[in-house]
Amino acid sequence: MQLKRVVITGMGAVSPLGMGVSSLMQGIAEGRSAVRSMPGWEAYKGLRSLVAAPAPLVNEKDIPRQARRSMGPMSIFSVQASQEALRDSGFDSSQLASGRVGCIIGSTMGGATSINEVFEIMIPKKDLTLLTSMKFFQCVSHTAALNVAQFFGIKGVVMATSAACASGLQAVGAAYDLIRLGRQDAVLCGGAEELHPTVTGSFDVLFATSAGFNQSPSETPRPFDAKRDGLVCGEGAAVMLAEEYEHARARKARIYGEITGYHTCSSGLHISQSSREALAVCMKNALKSAEVLPAEVDYINAHATATVQGDKEEAEAVRDVFKDTVPVSSLKGYFGHTLGASGALELIATLMMMKDGTLCPTRNLTEVAEDCKGIRHLQKPLQKKARCILKNAFALGGLNAAMVVRAL
Amino acid sequence: MTEQDVIRKTNEVFEESFEIGKERLVPEAHIFNDLGLDSLDIVDLVVALQKKFGVVIRSDERVQKIRTLGDIYQFIASLGQERTDRKDA
Repeated sequence: MQLKRVVITGMGAVSPLGMGVSSLMQGIAEGRSAVRSMPGWEAYKGLRSLVAAPAPLVNEKDIPRQARRSMGPMSIFSVQASQEALRDSGFDSSQLASGRVGCIIGSTMGGATSINEVFEIMIPKKDLTLLTSMKFFQCVSHTAALNVAQFFGIKGVVMATSAACASGLQAVGAAYDLIRLGRQDAVLCGGAEELHPTVTGSFDVLFATSAGFNQSPSETPRPFDAKRDGLVCGEGAAVMLAEEYEHARARKARIYGEITGYHTCSSGLHISQSSREALAVCMKNALKSAEVLPAEVDYINAHATATVQGDKEEAEAVRDVFKDTVPVSSLKGYFGHTLGASGALELIATLMMMKDGTLCPTRNLTEVAEDCKGIRHLQKPLQKKARCILKNAFALGGLNAAMVVRAL
Repeated sequence: MTEQDVIRKTNEVFEESFEIGKERLVPEAHIFNDLGLDSLDIVDLVVALQKKFGVVIRSDERVQKIRTLGDIYQFIASLGQERTDRKDA
């Protein structure tokens, strides 16, 4: 069976750096940090990390009430990002209901704000009578996917990948597989996440968050840096239109890049600690499926969240596969770790870097940590027309994903 | 609670929960045809009325018969009257 080719023809984002892909790229180009103090979070006993990267929740009333009532913030972000991606792609909206267009948007655990509201309503008096009809739809792990699909009248495959911080990249990977197999012509795909103290708290109890920069938020997170002390949670949504190559060509669509390789796997070793060997296996298999040699890769967009253990393992794995020749950077110093959105959001930024011919450096990387040395860190912008990139996304649970994209 | 209080607070529910402008909130407005609510909204309407008036109406069969905003005013007012009657008895 001849597999189809898959290209990216539209992109949209709501990120801590603002609404739209242009705000995202402008913020990165200016070296801005979207991380700030979170007043009120100190009320949570034991929460060490009091910083985060919130995204702007604006113009939500542009979505009619009856469509919006089932949406928490992450679904609103997702609809707005999808609107931008579809506009950007020039895709004929009448095709959305053809059954040949799908929607796959992943997140870590669904709508964190709504989940907490349900607990706050139900637990004190075990009283269900104050629960509204929409809480289920706002909470569930497929809340972003279902809301986007319903909003646009999509009748094809609708799924929600749920693999914590690899959810967004897995969603793009799942879309890639569906289109390759000929089951869909196009898929809106990506990831979404919303901030809540309990989300940061889930990493905080594992001592994986940054807690040493509460007074100087813009100095954290610090991927690969000697002073890194953990991740900073962010939120937002990133959606792209993955499309079958001939379908895109027939309508003369602009193509950002072709997905040529993808792999996702588990370490099978530890639920929380990244494994150098497993990360290397994931990257090697993605390269193999793309029929690309490590030397042919022009840039690696790292997962690197700035945790002490994760960055070390990723740096070692990259060194094992690529040695010190390929430029590597992490974007989390600009907008934190957007968790379920991160893989897709950072892939969008990477595709824009390919288009613009500038590879952006790792923000807050002032002194490369001893245990992260031996790879080619980008500490300042690099003018380079990258033709082939690798994007990593790793997750709690020992889950890994890597994707190869080529310029056409 | 006066009749005017019932009307004001009920209208607040429609403004706050369903984003319907004051000018459309007239007693004869049909809650489905004129105000655009659907069956899922009715679940939320009941929750919002319970919260606003401190009553429990979720299992009250009379809710099923409500069609207009005026029906809601009357229904809520009757709950107040029933409470008064119970106290008097």
